[in-house]
Amino acid sequence: MIELTSDPGWELLEEHPLETEFDIVKARQSVRQFAKDAGMGIVDQTRITTAVSELLRNMYMYAGGGIIRIQKGLFDHHQSLIITCLDEGPGIDNVELAMQDGYTSGQGMGYGLPGAKRLVDDFELQSQPGKGTTVRVVKWK
Amino acid sequence: MLVNERKIPIIKIRDFLIVSIQVDMHDRLALQLQTQILEEIARTHARGVLIDISTLEMVDSFIGRVLSGMASMASIMDAAVVIVGMQPAVAITLVELGLEMPGVETALNMELGMEMLEKRVNT
Amino acid sequence: MNETNITNAKQRIEHIEDILSSVAAGDLDLRIESEYEDDLTGIEEAINLLIDDLTHELKKSLKLKAEMEEKLLKIQEQQKTILQQQEDLMELSSPVSKVWENILILPVIGTLDSQRTQVMMENLLQKIVATGCTTAILDITGVPTVDTQVANHLLKTVTAARLLGAECIVSGISPAIAQTIVHLGINLSNILTKATLQDAMIYALRKNEQLINGKVVLNQAINEETI
Repeated sequence: MIELTSDPGWELLEEHPLETEFDIVKARQSVRQFAKDAGMGIVDQTRITTAVSELLRNMYMYAGGGIIRIQKGLFDHHQSLIITCLDEGPGIDNVELAMQDGYTSGQGMGYGLPGAKRLVDDFELQSQPGKGTTVRVVKWK
Repeated sequence: MLVNERKIPIIKIRDFLIVSIQVDMHDRLALQLQTQILEEIARTHARGVLIDISTLEMVDSFIGRVLSGMASMASIMDAAVVIVGMQPAVAITLVELGLEMPGVETALNMELGMEMLEKRVNT
Repeated sequence: MNETNITNAKQRIEHIEDILSSVAAGDLDLRIESEYEDDLTGIEEAINLLIDDLTHELKKSLKLKAEMEEKLLKIQEQQKTILQQQEDLMELSSPVSKVWENILILPVIGTLDSQRTQVMMENLLQKIVATGCTTAILDITGVPTVDTQVANHLLKTVTAARLLGAECIVSGISPAIAQTIVHLGINLSNILTKATLQDAMIYALRKNEQLINGKVVLNQAINEETI
């Protein structure tokens, strides 16, 4: 799996494999709870939960599953919730194209990645064909 | 598929169907609900459907698409769909996501939604 | 120098070393005591003086530090108050009021930045849901200019209101803002705009009249005006 550079000061809140559609529902419920605990407002809670839901669906559809990791800590001088989705799927051939509004290669409707990016404060994606994809989204208070 | 998966109840009042979504749906459940409602429209000859989403804390692009798809499908079956009670945070997130759901009728609450359907059916 | 002298000097130097290391470790109450009067005594006294000075300075800096910490706490508290007041002010600066059956008005005055527009948008949408009003008028007569971000937030508000089931009317767009919006290439054609707050109000009342059976609301308005 492709690991992104991370800060050792970040506290790990949760990390578990994602195998079924129920895991998606469970994961987004725990993201909302952590966002609530972090003191985020209702709109920001909804933004981060929705963004994560988009990422997890992509992961489930294209890679058949993966890992979700929830951390908290300082990001760019802000107290943040940091969520990383890692998979060992086929990877994305053309990241630029995948980030375009309305583009889809499968059953999705093409709002997944660019939409998720608009909902968060920081978005990082790394993908390697044949190796997998890792996406990290950050929302700060 | 799990046997104990809860079905979302569909209630019929006069010419209309009322559906209240109160669980965080996964994708398959959402699609299942779409089919279930369309079948119910055909079976009961309902003229309109009220879908209450006031307890939904999140609508992502998939659920959003299922909802607007259902409105178009019902419409070609000659039934109107009104989405009722969306939360402000959900509406803001949907717009930012890029889903403005054009063509989907919405109402602030059940009462207003019912009035809307009645007006549509009577004209 | 005889041997006893040397042993004696050695002992005294060792004593000095002991005292110095104790002082370095933080024990400032120790001083070198000596029964002799010779060349070493001067050094011993000088060291004692140095320890005195050090003690004094240290006490002074500790006191300063305590004062600074206290001030810092005060400043942090003041900052909290300022932030809180800013938040309060932001909410106060965009009051949403129900002016009629079914009609909300949000008069916006002053320069809009992205954050203020965001707070305003959330307030308005929450008020729409709480009151069940299906028409909201966003009057921006008092807004001198808008930038792309603010214009987009306004657009977003109107779209989000529609998703809730309410119609949002924007009134009082100044020539300057109209020019900016068109120059920025922002498409407001899907938004219902009215020239003045009065025009928006008339539109909203007419809609009410159609919506609520039998002109009750408008009649009521006229009656109240004649009384």
